[in-house]
Amino acid sequence: MSKLLSLGKVLIKPMNVVFRPNNFTPNLQVTLSTSSVHNVNFFNKLPAEKLWKSVTSVSNAGAKKGRGKGTGRIRIRDLNRGQMIGVGKINMLWPGLSAPVIRGRELLKQQRLPDDPERMEKLIKLRDSMTRFRRLRLNPIERGWSGSKMPGRSIGPPDPIGEDEFTGFDTKVLQLRSILIMKGSLGRTRNYQAMVVTGNGQGLAGFGLGKSKEAPAALRKAKNRAGQKLMHFEIYDGHTIFHDFYTAFGRTKIFVQKRNEGYGLKCHRAIKEICQAIGIKNLRAKVEGPINIQHIVKAFFIGLLQQRTHKQLAEEKKLHLVEYKAENEYYPKLVASPSVVRTKEEIPKNETLDFVQYVMNDKLILRKKKFPRFYETMPHYQIFLKKYEKYRNHEKIRLNLKVEHGDIKSFLTDKYPEPKEQEA
Amino acid sequence: MSLLIRRFVPTKTCNVVLKQNEPAIVVISRRKLSIVPSMYDGERDPAPKFFSSYVQKLLKRLTRPDFSKVFRKRTNSGVPVLKTPTYKFLTSDELELEFSKARLKADKLLQMPPVVKVHQKIDEVLSQDPALVGYDTAKYLFTDITFGVANEHRLIIERDPDGFLRSCDHDVRKRLNQVYFPLKGRSIKEPLMFSDSEKFNNLLDREKYEFVLDRACVQYEPDEPNYQRVTSITYQHIDMNKKYDLLRSTRHFGPLAFYLTWHQSMDSLMLELLQSGAVREAVLLAALRYAIHSDIANGDVAHALTEEIFPSPVQLSKPEQLSEADIDLDNKCIEFVQKYIVSNSSMKSQQELALQGFREYYQQLVELSRGLQKAHGKV
Repeated sequence: MSKLLSLGKVLIKPMNVVFRPNNFTPNLQVTLSTSSVHNVNFFNKLPAEKLWKSVTSVSNAGAKKGRGKGTGRIRIRDLNRGQMIGVGKINMLWPGLSAPVIRGRELLKQQRLPDDPERMEKLIKLRDSMTRFRRLRLNPIERGWSGSKMPGRSIGPPDPIGEDEFTGFDTKVLQLRSILIMKGSLGRTRNYQAMVVTGNGQGLAGFGLGKSKEAPAALRKAKNRAGQKLMHFEIYDGHTIFHDFYTAFGRTKIFVQKRNEGYGLKCHRAIKEICQAIGIKNLRAKVEGPINIQHIVKAFFIGLLQQRTHKQLAEEKKLHLVEYKAENEYYPKLVASPSVVRTKEEIPKNETLDFVQYVMNDKLILRKKKFPRFYETMPHYQIFLKKYEKYRNHEKIRLNLKVEHGDIKSFLTDKYPEPKEQEA
Repeated sequence: MSLLIRRFVPTKTCNVVLKQNEPAIVVISRRKLSIVPSMYDGERDPAPKFFSSYVQKLLKRLTRPDFSKVFRKRTNSGVPVLKTPTYKFLTSDELELEFSKARLKADKLLQMPPVVKVHQKIDEVLSQDPALVGYDTAKYLFTDITFGVANEHRLIIERDPDGFLRSCDHDVRKRLNQVYFPLKGRSIKEPLMFSDSEKFNNLLDREKYEFVLDRACVQYEPDEPNYQRVTSITYQHIDMNKKYDLLRSTRHFGPLAFYLTWHQSMDSLMLELLQSGAVREAVLLAALRYAIHSDIANGDVAHALTEEIFPSPVQLSKPEQLSEADIDLDNKCIEFVQKYIVSNSSMKSQQELALQGFREYYQQLVELSRGLQKAHGKV
């Protein structure tokens, strides 16, 4: 054994002897000398900033083609991150730099510690993490319609005017986009345009459009303009609109329908935000034609303004207006009465008496026929129906058995227990 | 006539019989409050009294129907979202027609569950065939399932292993009727809320009286002992806690008032009426007692007075102004109630006090409305 060990030492020694001169890099020797050397590496000659620029920059022509964007884009990494003075590739203990001078009663000496094999891996990992694009993280409550984008996000009440504050108001961004405009002196410049809706949830609401060079400024302008253009809307029973209506702006058409409590807002997201600002809780709206947000907003506001209250409808018709609700056993509830009521003889024959037809201004909604689902005409669907017909009540039976016996079993289970499954 | 045969293992039917008798005993023994159910099982039959048109009129008026409560939202009937309301433009005549239709509908919704005597056990042997003794170990049940026969008139008989052919008892009849002609909401096995006394008491403590009574109507027949047990405990619980308002404007108030009057314990209801200032209804209640028991001192006046009260509108809240006719009628009512308290009431002092309070309040109201009339120059 001892012979073998000694042989090993002999083997190592000459190697050390051979490789030692290479450990001293020629550069180190050069820096010590005063004369300049021409074949120097540019890594040492140029600052980090210039080196990184050479790697990441894209030519003007390339940038116009869209190079250097999206995936494969090289990002600048801070190589100093995660590094400390006094800690390096060779794990040395430097008293006064990486360690205290005196530990206990002992005066520490400069010495080499065993190498940390994971140090480099950690550094590489840290550097790699810098290459990925990090999305701005938002609290789920603060999020808008999509990610960290502005549309759908709340930006608070409009700024107070003098001493008048907008208490109870909240503003939602409906649209924020950049538009390019041409200027005589500057050429093509970028502008931001924002559309917001503000409201107090109790009938007061307004929308505003703001433009500016910067996005926050555009949002602020829009918000304050919306605060200046408040409109009041009456809400039926505190939860919905008075009647169905049709409204349009440009070629954008909206069919809005009144719904009962618990239905919610089933409509375009911009309409939903407007309804929440006003305080409408139940409604259905279908947008037809172009879904330009500005058009939708304008059309919906126009439609709301053109609504007639039940009192107005009764006065127009000179007839009582009666409400029937299924949950109240269709009890006729008188919601509005005119000052003068017409009799049956005074109503002309061709007058529209149907409520929905009247409030829609005799416009009929085309309700397309629903076709059967593609699988319903296939033979396998008939087989499926036949096969599963016998199971159609099992869910209810299971629930009932659980109520009666506390488990899925019947009064016969004790007498005739289920055969136990044999373990495979 | 088509007959269907069901084989019943004798031990099973035995279980059924036991199970039906069991809860009644358990409820009485386990209850902490120990409300003893009292049924209509005596000599007297309540049905002729209850169904007489005069008593029905009294009970319906005592229900004090408020349409906003009669037509209130109860359940979503399994639909997650309520239906969209519909609207109509109506002339005054059409509107009046709609209201009269609604009144008919309210009458239907307020139809009272019948109050009848507990049924007798059916023990009728149709034939005895000793040759069939030991023919089978099981009992045979024969049901006539002809379409259009009422459940109570359906022919259901059993052939016992001992050779007897007899008519089935009520519990077997009910089970077989439910098997062949299921009623919606009724289960073959008694629901736990009725059979488990703890669950039942919990419901009563949470004041779910209407739910209990509604479900009892679906689950039981009105002449079943179990129905009368459940309802009588519920009525007594309401009476003890003075929660009459929970049953007003529902179909159960009439049977409640009838039950309390039948068992001579309507004085706390009378007290509640006087305290809330419904003196006309107090007269109706006393008249109801006279109609059932004929034990009131001035009973002969009652009928005439109630006939005067019936045409007047139902007072849902305390009146703000009074006409001379109202004052006249109310004074008669106060006088009548006064006599009733003196001669027949079992809570004399309390009712006396309540009536005195009402009198003072009423006097003020009379002065106010007469003063108003005078100020308008209408006297």
